[in-house]
Amino acid sequence: MKVTINDVSMDFAPGTSVIDAVFAAGYDVPYFCSQEYMSPIGACRMCLARVGAPRKDREGNWILDEETGEPKIFYFPNMMATCTTQVMEGMVVDTLSDDVKRVQNGMVEFTLINHPLDCPVCDKGGACELQDRAYEYGTGESRFVFDKRHQEKHHPLSEVITLDRERCIHCKRCVRYFEEVPGDGVLDFIERGGHTYIGTLEDGLPSNFTGNITDICPVGALLDTTSRFRGRNWEYDHTRSTGMDDAGGSAIVIDARTGRIERIKGALNPEVNKTWIDDGTRFGHEYVDADDRLRSPLVRKDGELVPATWEEAAQVVRDRLGGLSGKDIGIALRADATLEEGVAAKALAEALGTGQLDHAPRPAASVVPQQAPATLTDLATADAIFVVGDVTEEVPIADLRIKDALKGVTPPEMMAHGVPIADLRLKEHPVFHRERLSVAAPYRVDLMKHAGRTASYPAGGEAALFAALQAIAEAQDAKAEDAEAAAVQLDDGQRAALGMSLADAEALVRGLREADNAVVVIGGFVLATRAAAAAAATFAKAVGAKQLILGPMANSYGLELLHVGPSHDRYAYPGMLEGARALILSNLDPAQDPDVRATLEQKDFLVVHDLFLTETAKIADVVLPARSVYERDGTTVNLEGRFLPLQAAPVDAGESEDFVGVVGALGDALGQRLEGRSVRSARRVLRKRFELDPAELGPSGELYRPKGRPAPRVSIRSDEAVGGNVLVTPSMLRVEYLERNPHLLALSGGSRLRVNPADAAQHGLGDGEAVSLRVGGVVRRARVRLDAGVPAGLMLLPTLPEQPVGLAHADLATLTRDERELEVAG
Amino acid sequence: MVELETVPPFFADKQELLDEILGRYPEYGRRSAVMPLLREVQHAERYVSEARLAEIGEIVGMHATEVKGVMSFYSEYHGEPVGTYHLQVCSTLSCSLAGSDELYDYLVEKLGIVNGEVDAEGRFSLQKVECLGSCGSGPVIQVNDTYYERVSRSRCDALIEALSRDEVPEPWRARGGDNEGADKADFLMHTVAAGEGETR
Amino acid sequence: MSDVADATTPITSRHDPRYEVVMYRHVGIDGAWTLDYYRGHGGYASARKALTTMTPAQVIDEVKASKLRGRGGAGFPTGVKWSFMPPVDGRQRLLVVNADESEPGSFKDRYIMEDDPHQLIEGIIIGCYAIQATKAFIYIRGEYGLGYRRLVQAVEEARAAGILGKNALGSDVEVDITVHRGAGAYICGEETALMNSLEGLRGNPRLKPPFPAQAGVYGLPTTINNVTTMTSVVHIIERGADWFASMGTEDSKGTKLYQISGTVVRPGVYELPMGATFRELIYDLAGGPKGEAKGFFPGGSSTPPFPWRDEFLDMPMDYGTLANSGSMLGTGGVIVIPKEKDIVDAMYNVVRFYAHESCGKCTPCREGISTWLPKMYQKLLAGLGTREDLDLMEDMVRNTRGTAFCPLADACAMPVQASFKWFRDEYEYLVDHGTPMYTKNDWWEA
Repeated sequence: MKVTINDVSMDFAPGTSVIDAVFAAGYDVPYFCSQEYMSPIGACRMCLARVGAPRKDREGNWILDEETGEPKIFYFPNMMATCTTQVMEGMVVDTLSDDVKRVQNGMVEFTLINHPLDCPVCDKGGACELQDRAYEYGTGESRFVFDKRHQEKHHPLSEVITLDRERCIHCKRCVRYFEEVPGDGVLDFIERGGHTYIGTLEDGLPSNFTGNITDICPVGALLDTTSRFRGRNWEYDHTRSTGMDDAGGSAIVIDARTGRIERIKGALNPEVNKTWIDDGTRFGHEYVDADDRLRSPLVRKDGELVPATWEEAAQVVRDRLGGLSGKDIGIALRADATLEEGVAAKALAEALGTGQLDHAPRPAASVVPQQAPATLTDLATADAIFVVGDVTEEVPIADLRIKDALKGVTPPEMMAHGVPIADLRLKEHPVFHRERLSVAAPYRVDLMKHAGRTASYPAGGEAALFAALQAIAEAQDAKAEDAEAAAVQLDDGQRAALGMSLADAEALVRGLREADNAVVVIGGFVLATRAAAAAAATFAKAVGAKQLILGPMANSYGLELLHVGPSHDRYAYPGMLEGARALILSNLDPAQDPDVRATLEQKDFLVVHDLFLTETAKIADVVLPARSVYERDGTTVNLEGRFLPLQAAPVDAGESEDFVGVVGALGDALGQRLEGRSVRSARRVLRKRFELDPAELGPSGELYRPKGRPAPRVSIRSDEAVGGNVLVTPSMLRVEYLERNPHLLALSGGSRLRVNPADAAQHGLGDGEAVSLRVGGVVRRARVRLDAGVPAGLMLLPTLPEQPVGLAHADLATLTRDERELEVAG
Repeated sequence: MVELETVPPFFADKQELLDEILGRYPEYGRRSAVMPLLREVQHAERYVSEARLAEIGEIVGMHATEVKGVMSFYSEYHGEPVGTYHLQVCSTLSCSLAGSDELYDYLVEKLGIVNGEVDAEGRFSLQKVECLGSCGSGPVIQVNDTYYERVSRSRCDALIEALSRDEVPEPWRARGGDNEGADKADFLMHTVAAGEGETR
Repeated sequence: MSDVADATTPITSRHDPRYEVVMYRHVGIDGAWTLDYYRGHGGYASARKALTTMTPAQVIDEVKASKLRGRGGAGFPTGVKWSFMPPVDGRQRLLVVNADESEPGSFKDRYIMEDDPHQLIEGIIIGCYAIQATKAFIYIRGEYGLGYRRLVQAVEEARAAGILGKNALGSDVEVDITVHRGAGAYICGEETALMNSLEGLRGNPRLKPPFPAQAGVYGLPTTINNVTTMTSVVHIIERGADWFASMGTEDSKGTKLYQISGTVVRPGVYELPMGATFRELIYDLAGGPKGEAKGFFPGGSSTPPFPWRDEFLDMPMDYGTLANSGSMLGTGGVIVIPKEKDIVDAMYNVVRFYAHESCGKCTPCREGISTWLPKMYQKLLAGLGTREDLDLMEDMVRNTRGTAFCPLADACAMPVQASFKWFRDEYEYLVDHGTPMYTKNDWWEA
């Protein structure tokens, strides 16, 4: 449709909003309420423009202007909000005339009459849409002589979000966000008219994605409490990187000032996270600045760890490894290491002649499916989704993309100016088509609130669940071929394995196979055994669904692709802890299990590369200070197989190095130029290996889709016996750092041991009690949370890198009240 | 410890009422029941507490916050208890021209409370409200759910005295215009050709 | 229930042989709200006629031919609105009756619902049949407690008698009615806000398009009509479009319920053919102003007021004439303003109403109408205003005109602008002297 904006004529697709036409034409109108990815509502009235269009007469001919002979333009009697007006053929838009200017001045004046104009003390100053727009489109003076509306200025909406009600301009972005994006209506307007304000009755905004409202607030009303009063926007170094707390690969911006990370914000990646991030990713950065962060290498001398230079430490490592043969040495990285660190680790292993190399946690089953995995866009446009697991905790952004699918609006086409500002297909108060979503898990998971069908199968029963569903699929096939075929028959065991009624299960299977775009989301519980993962893959294939596999950590997919794994089964991570005489462990802390600690104490040599003096570091011979995920340059691969860039924020981390740096230093000591001694050299390897250039990734990253089948994974761990009385669950919050994240700690109440109330009574546990318990050997401290959604006889505990998702045995005899009270709010 | 809810749910023993209210709307419009449910609570308890907001939210599938957003939008629901007799004086133009401002002042003097207040006994509360649709028969006082129209000084005195004795007088209705005395007229529905006779 | 007749002798259109009372024929009669009474006076014959002798399309055509225009204020042709409903496609279709009568000066619907609810139900049956909806909602404003109770009672009676239900009036047409009670919000009379409110959302107006016929309540095809639009239909079907169209003026047909309040001898509701003059209503029927009048709102407080001049008093009360005169017919609620009521005080009352009723969704209304404008009036009335303040008010009000999300801001701004146009001398007197031109402050008689 041809539209003329001031003096520019352009063609637009039907349905385009006028505001997007204006921006695409290179002009500007101010706006506060519109926001990419949310419904346009036309509330702020800032984007008003004079709009006209030609009309047709009764015969369908354009009514012509008598003077010019051109179609006559009929202007709308009122100024139109361009965000809620669609383009029309021949439309004329005026954003520059005095009439428009007068109205814009008027709207700025109205918007400001109750705004405190406290920009000099406002954190948003310098990055404030209101400040900018008032400057650009206001008159610079106010004729309002009365007292402004006085309201609360420091209202804590939660432990991490502070609301200044006076600054609010009622754009409704935050309210719409909660309703439309996570689907949690925990914030709303209260009262009406001039008395309207934002408020909540839900204590602490119970949603997993609350922090996004601080990104989209156009003024300083909603602020990230962790960074409040910490700096001005122009003082921050903004570093775009990738969130490494989970396998989603969300784009983030790290704002640092004088060497300290002050806040994390969401960044735009239309293919992955749009602009949203979860609260774990946003607020989980404070540990980086903890007082006990290691800042230089430590070397054990006379039984004590004492500071040393990198050269000294590397010398010690060289000397002590010198006497050992390759097979005696084990190297393990945590699974959020970058690909470049993986290359470095492989080079080091090769140089040392060892096949004992691994990343951890690494589930029994592969996280790289045989067929190309579903993309997050596939997920967001699916018409039938089956989730097995706790996707919200595993890969939070997948939770939001599932909700996109429930809303049923496909991602918008990008325009010249970027994501459309006002996507008119998005409606306020959207209907979530719950019937498209089925969720199965051994306990009540958050996403079940939005699911049309839920199943609670017995923990550890994932293989049986998929087998039973497979049986249904096959019976349906038989029925389709032969109407006389017997109806679906399941034995009692199979029925129990479903965790839902047979009718529900049949409808689920039918829904998946009849869907045009079905996705099966496979969580960590399934990956815990190869049998379950295989059954899941078979089932997905049978119903024609794509698979999306939720790997346990940020780069699980990439490290598996890169074959950062052992040459033999018994050389895998758990095995090397037993078998190797010397270990190099990066960001892993196995000594949290006292039995493992005893084993490690017997090792000839132990090198630990970590941020803190962990239990394992305490008994190490050499401790090397590690860079946090925010301080690394490199590449990660998310669960879609998408290569995404990490960029190091300028953080003062002493002499910390990533594993690339470790290998560089050791190579120097060994007198070898190892591949992966630098990011540049590691990337040469990656370019060759993957035929894409990690240094040249586009803003959305790059999907890696090798021709042909991917190579089989290097090695597999044999299935362990499934069983236990504790289910280790995925966690959006990284428990290993929780106590060094004071705001998240207060928000979450710390690590939770969730217990069914009846079980708690039996064990004499009270809600909120701090306890300590050995789970699968690892000493865990947690606070008891009574939760009726937990099955009887099972306790739930969030995962640690050393304690993978799945069933584990806990010795209830070790259950004790924790003497050392955890620091929790309330 | 989690605070245990000590107030029993309002609708716990009112299943029939609840079913009737929910039954007015289709299942996909369950949320529509939020207003009638709020009214039931307001009527019975003279305000809607946060516990009730949460309870109603639970019933219709809304967050308590959203229920509060709805409740606070309307002027007839109250977050604080009103008196046994909630006196709502219309103050909009037509009533104002019929003396509602003076009526309000008179009530303030008589009851010793102002707009938004409840008296010490909790018997009376006073609220200045906007147009009640009694423009032809003002001034009007709405007592709880009942209109008392064309309130003169003597009627006002009589009303307050009766309510002070917990006697609720028959409402005074005045329709004005076409309906005044309609039931006395014997020429209902008679037809006269239009145009017969001229105005002035 | 007792009607208290005031000292004044009722002289109404019912008593005026020139006019026939149609929609208000049962209003004011004890017991007229019962089914027995209604049926005893020929009730439901019209609906039966529609359901048994006409097709839905014929009903729509008849209403179109009658030229009935919506009685809620905007005056959109009812038959045309009905024909906007999409073709029947299996989706539930809804009729919503807007009984959220909240415009100051309007009170015509109230007495129908209180005294003659079956007339409305009959209109709904016909309307539902015409648009092929099986479900209707009556959204009645919260304050109308008696009307609500009478409606609910009447719906129950009608259901029990088989007038409503799966087989309405013994036909194969299904019609059921839910009476939904508001809770005090003028804005819910705006049809999109009404839909939100009915759905259990805050009563903010919503975007159009989509229009209600495409996606209304619950996203379903919906038609929304005023109470007296529906009751007009009863008589159009009963007596034919020609009868209805024979009354009124070129662009406005039939009878209408006019309301009159303010300082007149006999305020109330009068049923007159469209196009009767203000003078007829004010003098012949309402007995003329009590004391000297200086102006009047022609159709509710949101319509720009006129000064008390012959050219306006002799204006016919129809849609087109009023629109061309710079005002609107609105709901037909005339409010007479006495000379002794200072216009600034009167307009502050009006502005305060809209300030109270603004929903707060959009900026010009929330900040301009709901916040700033009443403060300016308070400043003036406190004797602190200046001539510059008057200019500021006019300019600021101009910025609220045509810029807000819904018509509420205009509903306030236009009368304010008219008051400046006609009565600027009173504003100027106040700012120059620090006291109003008129200071009478006791309007409570006896």
